[in-house]
Amino acid sequence: MKVRGTGDLESADKWEVQLRKGCLELAILAVLWDGKLYGLEILRRLESDSDLIVSEGTVYPLLSRLKALGLVRSEWVESDAGHPRKYYVLTAAGKERAREMASMWARFSSSMSKLLAPLARGK
Amino acid sequence: MTTMAGDAQQRIDAYLAKLRGQLRGFDDAEVRELVDELRSHIADKLALSEPTTGAANVAAVDAALAALGTAEELASQYVTDNLLARAEVSRSPLQILKSLFRWASLSIAGFCVLFGSLIGYLAGIVFLLCALLKPFHPHTAGLWIIPDGAVDVEISLRLGFGSIPAGREVLGWWIVPLGLVAGFGLVMLTSRCALWCARRYRRPSVLPRG
Repeated sequence: MKVRGTGDLESADKWEVQLRKGCLELAILAVLWDGKLYGLEILRRLESDSDLIVSEGTVYPLLSRLKALGLVRSEWVESDAGHPRKYYVLTAAGKERAREMASMWARFSSSMSKLLAPLARGK
Repeated sequence: MTTMAGDAQQRIDAYLAKLRGQLRGFDDAEVRELVDELRSHIADKLALSEPTTGAANVAAVDAALAALGTAEELASQYVTDNLLARAEVSRSPLQILKSLFRWASLSIAGFCVLFGSLIGYLAGIVFLLCALLKPFHPHTAGLWIIPDGAVDVEISLRLGFGSIPAGREVLGWWIVPLGLVAGFGLVMLTSRCALWCARRYRRPSVLPRG
């Protein structure tokens, strides 16, 4: 029986983390595509819709960066919870960037799927 | 609005005060907005937890703050991401270097990119200076090939200070247009490479599905 070493598992985990990291910006732009969301909602949507588990201390600096890049803008909205929430919404540049990234992702994903098809069939 | 026990509120205030003190590079309005956003986030997190009082409330606050990371770590992410974003928007070599110095203080990858970028910018500046100084030092500025021993030669880009080099000048006045093109090209290429590396290697942490 072939035993998988700890090193193999670690590199697989590292690879997965890198893969997920690369998708995070696109994932955030994607969850904002349908409308404005505040930070905690973005985190929840990422977890529930994309399997991306982002630490809370990561998403806020990233949102701040996307805002500085002009890809999102923010607005404060009073909530029923009794405190205002900062909502994020895509700008025109953010929508354009999301479209470009989604298109690149689709091309890449399609070509990788073709390449990996024999593996999926178990040949 | 939910009110919090004194201890719990103090913990939040202390955390946010520490964060506020370390958010360098942001103006006052930006700092206030970031802190208000985190205060709102913490309030939402506490509202999601079971209604508690006293010690349990303090524990819920501690858990909410722990999920954000330490104030130092969070401030560090904000500051670095902000510097990189400003560098990407401005594309100014000075702003890029400022971001890279910050990144270099945090990781080896950042240090390596800073080191490479300094070399790139320095080479670009030398080419530019050589081209710009040629009209003022026509006999001593330029690209020279200097014999170094019997077979070896040394290629030297000179800015024109000092005596006439003991070698042969190549390019002549062509150093002016070529130096300008090479200098600007190197500066632009270095900026692009540095920003690419920052985008590629300086990414936020994402956890694998457990």
